[in-house]
Amino acid sequence: MRKSVVVYTLDSCVKCLKCIRACPVSALTMNSQNRIEIDGDKCLNCARCITTCHNKGLLGQGSTLEDIKNYDYTVCMVPPALINVCSTKQEADEMMYAIKKLGFDEVVDISPVYGQIMNEYFNLADHYVEATMITSFCPVVNRYIQTKYPMLLDNLAPINYPSEIAAKMLRKKYQEKGNVGIFHCCECEALLELSKYPYGNMQYETDHALAIVDIFPEIRKLLGKDKCECVYNLQGLQSVNPSMILQKDNYLIADGFEKITNILDLAEFNMLDDFKLVYLFACINGCVGGHLLFGNSYLYRNNVYPLTKNESSAITDLSFDDIYSDFISLNPDDKRSFKEKMAFFAKVNEQLEHLPGYDCSACGLQTCRIMAEEIAKGNKQLSDCHILSSVKEKQNETK
Amino acid sequence: MNSVIHEEYSVAQYDFANAGKASSSIKEHLKQLGVDPQVLRRIAVACYESEINLIIHAYGGDIILDVFDDGTIQLIFKDEGPGIEDIEKAMTPGFSTASEKARSMGFGAGMGLPNIKRVSDEFDIQSSSEGTTLTLRFKES
Repeated sequence: MRKSVVVYTLDSCVKCLKCIRACPVSALTMNSQNRIEIDGDKCLNCARCITTCHNKGLLGQGSTLEDIKNYDYTVCMVPPALINVCSTKQEADEMMYAIKKLGFDEVVDISPVYGQIMNEYFNLADHYVEATMITSFCPVVNRYIQTKYPMLLDNLAPINYPSEIAAKMLRKKYQEKGNVGIFHCCECEALLELSKYPYGNMQYETDHALAIVDIFPEIRKLLGKDKCECVYNLQGLQSVNPSMILQKDNYLIADGFEKITNILDLAEFNMLDDFKLVYLFACINGCVGGHLLFGNSYLYRNNVYPLTKNESSAITDLSFDDIYSDFISLNPDDKRSFKEKMAFFAKVNEQLEHLPGYDCSACGLQTCRIMAEEIAKGNKQLSDCHILSSVKEKQNETK
Repeated sequence: MNSVIHEEYSVAQYDFANAGKASSSIKEHLKQLGVDPQVLRRIAVACYESEINLIIHAYGGDIILDVFDDGTIQLIFKDEGPGIEDIEKAMTPGFSTASEKARSMGFGAGMGLPNIKRVSDEFDIQSSSEGTTLTLRFKES
């Protein structure tokens, strides 16, 4: 059972059901106490439910700065998305200093790792891979493919997350410092999951994930005091910013959840065969539009220009073994025979005919189809449908 | 053989705005059913190509999906003309009779029928001036 990053924080809900309907994978339900429950095994961490809630009832949290104390030596990784927010080099350098002053021994701009990965995508797509390759940058996109589009798993680039690759590299670099703690400033909820804490995912190399919005008030107090130099890697800053990635006739670059859904649907029909590289971001404006950053991403997505006007540092030079990773299907193999699957499907369809089909979510489930599945499994009854029961009540009254 | 799932869709000629909608719906249903991803990929590709054929070559037509209890998934594409003049020629990669309008929208490259045949487990095509019936079958597992 996977622990979901998104948690429900209210005692009771106004029951607008917007979050349930916003979920692309039907991970949210409302229980009988009118509280929202999130199925961690299904959740993509896309934060669509968080942004639709008017009452701030849902959120994803990172580790706290208190955790710094548990290590002999601490390193904080700063992603290119956060550097993209700064409009001048001065601003970026001051921010790096402020982050270090939060209590870290070292602060590292990991843009060069992002830059190498983007280059690797281009290289694989241009020279090595026959089929259309889908980037594996965005954890939301990967999870979406792993759960909803298993047909496209083979098309995912076999490359690990930049934060993981950087964390491994840094752990090696600082191995003589004793108990090293690697922290990651995260620009979105999905990245919060890619570390050991706070969600207990021990398979990752990063130790703690920090939400940028949570630490930003502290960072602000320390701005303007001194500088700590950023590396300003052009490719790294471009790689998370879809409007800045170099276009080619056979590259397809898209951002935003609706767009990537359309694109993945087309890919399943082999309609993207003319494209060598499909570069996808779940958020509008890519990682620069990450939900844990501040402000409107359209304001700073062009900052790459002032930040890299005169020069760019080199990208990292890690071996393919260092950056390689495989993506497997998250749908556990269905042990049912085809006959059993068909019998269940027919049962669901039969129940579906009794339901009103409004997909109103009033029962706490996203669609009538999911309700029909729950009835077929024996977890719910037709009388749990609010529409059906209110119609019945009315009929009884008139009698 | 009993048909466990039976669905029908109709497709209109030159309805490019809705091109692929029937295939998307069929794909979604077969996903919900739990068809093996590798088999479903082939079905999706064949279904999409054939649906486009109904739109650009025929005067529209119908798509009939049946899933039989022995695990056979059958798709029938039926139209009422104009029919394929020379089926053998139509099966040659690169041969196309698509209109300028269709080609300008990126359809009609002449790979349709050969591709459909390549991905299908069973392929049958019957055509006369009264119409064409294309029957495709896929075996789950």
